[in-house]
Amino acid sequence: MKTNLRTTLRPVGAFLMRGSTPYFMTIALLAVSTILVYLSPRSIPAFLLFAISASLIYFLKLKKPFQLGMAVLVAVVIVPILGARNIFYLEVIFQIAVFAALALGLNIVVGFSGLLNFGYMAFYAVGAYLWAFFGSQQPFLLHEIPGTAPMGTPFLLAPDWFYLFIFLGVIVVSIVGLILGLPVLRVRGDYLAIITLAFGEIIRQLANNLDKPLNLTNGPQGITPIQRPTMPKGILAWFNSICEKIVGHPVTENQFYNIMFYLIAVLVVVVVILVTARLDDSKIGRAWAAVREDELAATAMGIPANKLKLGAFAVGASFAGAMGVLFAASRTFVSPESFNFLQSVSVLTMVILGGIGSIPGVIIGAAVVVVLNLQILPSFSLFLANLRQSDAVIPIINFHWKDLSNQLDPSKYQRLIFGIILILMMIYRPAGILPAARKKRKLQGSMSAGSSGEAEGAGGPDAAASQGKGADRG
Amino acid sequence: MAELILETRDVVKRFGGLTAVNKVDFSLEKGSICSIIGPNGAGKTTFFNTISGIYKPEEGEIFLEGKRIDRLTPDKITSIHMARTFQNIRLFGGMTVLENIMVGSYTRLRQNAVQAVLRTRAFKEEETRAQAKAEELMAYIGLRGVGNELAGSLPYGVQRRVEIARALASAPRLLLLDEPTAGMNPAETEEATLLFRRLRDELGITILLIEHDMKVVMNISERISVMDYGEKIAEGKPSEIATNPRVIEAYLGRGAAGGGAAAIAANAAGDQAGGQS
Amino acid sequence: MIRPQASRTLREIAAPLGKMAVFVVGAGALFSALMVIIAFLCKGSGADKLLLDTQGINIVTYTMVNLPQVLIDGVTLGFVYAAIALGYTMVYGVLEFINFAHSEIFAIGAFAGVEFLIAMDKLGVLAAAGPMGGYMYLVIALMISMMAAGGIAMLMERVAYRPLREAPKLVPLISAIGVSFALQDIIRLVESLTTGQFYRVMPTFGDFDKRLPLFSIPTGQDSTQVDIQVKSLVVIIAAVLMLVLLNYIVNATKIGKAIRAVAQDRNTAALMGVGVNAIISFTFFIGGALGGAAGLLYALKFTRIDPYVGFMPGMKAFTAAVLGGIGNLTGALLGGIVLGMLESFAGAYLGTFTMGAFGSEYKDIIAFSVLIIFIIFRPSGLLGEQVSQKA
Repeated sequence: MKTNLRTTLRPVGAFLMRGSTPYFMTIALLAVSTILVYLSPRSIPAFLLFAISASLIYFLKLKKPFQLGMAVLVAVVIVPILGARNIFYLEVIFQIAVFAALALGLNIVVGFSGLLNFGYMAFYAVGAYLWAFFGSQQPFLLHEIPGTAPMGTPFLLAPDWFYLFIFLGVIVVSIVGLILGLPVLRVRGDYLAIITLAFGEIIRQLANNLDKPLNLTNGPQGITPIQRPTMPKGILAWFNSICEKIVGHPVTENQFYNIMFYLIAVLVVVVVILVTARLDDSKIGRAWAAVREDELAATAMGIPANKLKLGAFAVGASFAGAMGVLFAASRTFVSPESFNFLQSVSVLTMVILGGIGSIPGVIIGAAVVVVLNLQILPSFSLFLANLRQSDAVIPIINFHWKDLSNQLDPSKYQRLIFGIILILMMIYRPAGILPAARKKRKLQGSMSAGSSGEAEGAGGPDAAASQGKGADRG
Repeated sequence: MAELILETRDVVKRFGGLTAVNKVDFSLEKGSICSIIGPNGAGKTTFFNTISGIYKPEEGEIFLEGKRIDRLTPDKITSIHMARTFQNIRLFGGMTVLENIMVGSYTRLRQNAVQAVLRTRAFKEEETRAQAKAEELMAYIGLRGVGNELAGSLPYGVQRRVEIARALASAPRLLLLDEPTAGMNPAETEEATLLFRRLRDELGITILLIEHDMKVVMNISERISVMDYGEKIAEGKPSEIATNPRVIEAYLGRGAAGGGAAAIAANAAGDQAGGQS
Repeated sequence: MIRPQASRTLREIAAPLGKMAVFVVGAGALFSALMVIIAFLCKGSGADKLLLDTQGINIVTYTMVNLPQVLIDGVTLGFVYAAIALGYTMVYGVLEFINFAHSEIFAIGAFAGVEFLIAMDKLGVLAAAGPMGGYMYLVIALMISMMAAGGIAMLMERVAYRPLREAPKLVPLISAIGVSFALQDIIRLVESLTTGQFYRVMPTFGDFDKRLPLFSIPTGQDSTQVDIQVKSLVVIIAAVLMLVLLNYIVNATKIGKAIRAVAQDRNTAALMGVGVNAIISFTFFIGGALGGAAGLLYALKFTRIDPYVGFMPGMKAFTAAVLGGIGNLTGALLGGIVLGMLESFAGAYLGTFTMGAFGSEYKDIIAFSVLIIFIIFRPSGLLGEQVSQKA
């Protein structure tokens, strides 16, 4: 069936790939969807169309500079403006960026090196609490009971230390990753997964309980306010002077902070993608894949498996660390509940849904899950709520919508959805929506056949012969 | 006497109460092709695993080119120029043939994570060289045109070759081959035998095989060691081994399914031995 | 022919009872001794002074006086953990697979039984039943819990695990996480739609809340009463009975033999004519039924349940299974009792000894640390039977 679909789609695909068609199509779709979102900022279909046309930039066969240019245009110009018009979209895209970075980090551990990690949120938590502690008044409240901060308590650091802390987050959290990764030296498989889950829970509970003897985390109440970096002087006025007419209303400082954090998040994601893709395409990435496929054979080929697995834990963790710092600053608030097991599993769901080991797949997985969480489920909830208030009746069974329990709120059923996604993916499509493809390399031998000496000449027929025989037997 | 590349002294490997390798003294001359034979369960593969660092011996010492290796991890041992293949092919099935071979060159690449992320010139040059080297090896082994195929999707005989190419990519001076012709038909076996000889003659690699196909063993080996019940029971030139009474007893004494014994007998008669898997 | 069979039956019943007694007494004595030693070491410390100031007794007396109650609580909790742990350990023994969703089977058992009792309560029969009738309804509720939990466990295996039986090890584990999450929300959904809320409270009935006085310890002018709640006693007795029954099924019946055969080698067992699928289903049923019963007992003890109630006890019980040596039935028992004691002791004394700096809220952290330490350094558990991980 799959092949049938593929053969029917082939002519369509061929048409889309020809000449300038893809360029024209990308621009047209983007323009149309941008205008649609601009005109009706609350319409979900318009937003989805926009998201799809933006992702087409990646999927269509376009020249690299054009792709890059369009991506920058969308990320830096179109989205901020649309986002300023409807700040909710900015939140959606900000969360997609945050979770994409997290999912890419987890993907290094789960997808590249094949180690299951159920406690990934612990790394995010450490990064978040790092800035939450140093970027708030908490250092001066060590001996206070939570919730009793005296008026006028100073902040320890100036807000702009935030930028340094993004890097510190990377370093500190990768060290934590190394420490939490130590069990890989002795444990593998399902036991390792359970250990990471236990580690994740321990970190969350520590965050919950370390309000005494020293009040480090402020306990279940969480830490607030956490400082945001200062905004460059005059930039808001400058933005408003250009964009106020387009946006339709003056952008407030708070809204502009959202734009700023969105841009930082995008920057981090770009760095993460670059690092991930480049590591994957190096001897380290090949070694990770080898360890994942067959650890014993990998060691026999000279790969120090333990070192690589620890490295995967550390690199994966470091992304979460950077995003944790960003998260703490953007929310100005952290509490232990943001880092529970549900969150860890939702990041895992993104990786598995999108395609384990596949960078574009994982990003799409993150986007789908975030859009599901923030847009589709809530709008479904809203829809049900409206039905409940109407007089509508389901005909045959004579069910009055207003009798529907108001406990039935789809946006509260993420676990059900994640659970079903995980089960179905494992049974029917374990490689994900966009499976990781092994990189095909341009073979020099095939281009300059016969030019490199006798050995090849001798080898060629041999190979053909043995291949033929193998096929006969098979 | 020629220089020794591998030497084991009184190597013992136990699993619980079972002594799988019992006080084996073994030495291998540089530049030779030698075989280890023995009935099933004689401890040959365990001996290989012990040499290549996958198992740690309980007693005894192992030297590679005079350097003691019995406490080293397998990856360290590979980095000092010993490589191996596995009895039941262990390729990285989900990776391409080229990638498999490039994994083999892991210990020979100097790049690090920072260079990889920054894509420095040194990194790019090294990657190009590594790929060129891998392709050269593929051509040499007779694997042209399959570079971008997934290793797991290839026919059996080709997978065996890929495994050898992957081992060669680590630039070994000693190559351990664990039943490299198992499951091959007579023509493939013939080619493989030629290949092993070429590896030694052209690349100067010392080769140690575990092999059940007596035709291959008798044909290619300069020396043969025979193991039974974890012990080395005989050693010598092929002609000596074929007539050694202890060896014949080891095979026939099991009264067994008799593949090995039949093979020895057949070979002694100068007849064609059937391939067995 | 009858006599050996009868004596064997007797032995299979007596042996686990003996083991339980040894484990309870041994673990209890060990922990008690440890606490008393620590108390002696703390004499004269700040914690000691604080106690003298506030309660007028020194730390050693305080420790000793509280011991009996702490032990009783520990044993109660321990048996609940043991009953859940058996579900993990049986499935692991047979499939080498961590059934992560077992904690939700526990929750389903709790909800099924509690819903039944709530329904009975609404009908007014519970109030009218009196103490003996209370026990009867509890037994019926337990049966319902076990059937519901066992049935769902079987269904879960059929739908989410069987198709993945030959897949790499991590695949069914991810599926199990999925099942676990889906079941939590399915419970929530069903409860919300039928009752309009998703947490339930165990109705009060019978004399389960009564406290039976055991003895009193004189402390100076005062004396401390040691008692046991009827429900704790019920929990312990019910758990012991079930564990004995399970032991009998596994060790002395034909189907038990088949389970052990499948655990040893699935393929060979199939060749010997064992219906592997049926046996695996049955294993899930038995494990699920035990977990479900444990769920209801837990609800009896702690009264309030919600769809997520299974997570913590499930993780603890898994810890217990690892602690005792996963795949080993006796080990699960031992692990449950040790962990129950550990938690109860940590809850009771940690706060006192550290003067409130660290309190009972660290008991989860302690349990998880035990899990990590055991998996890393002694994956075969306390009993040391080698259940090696197949790489």
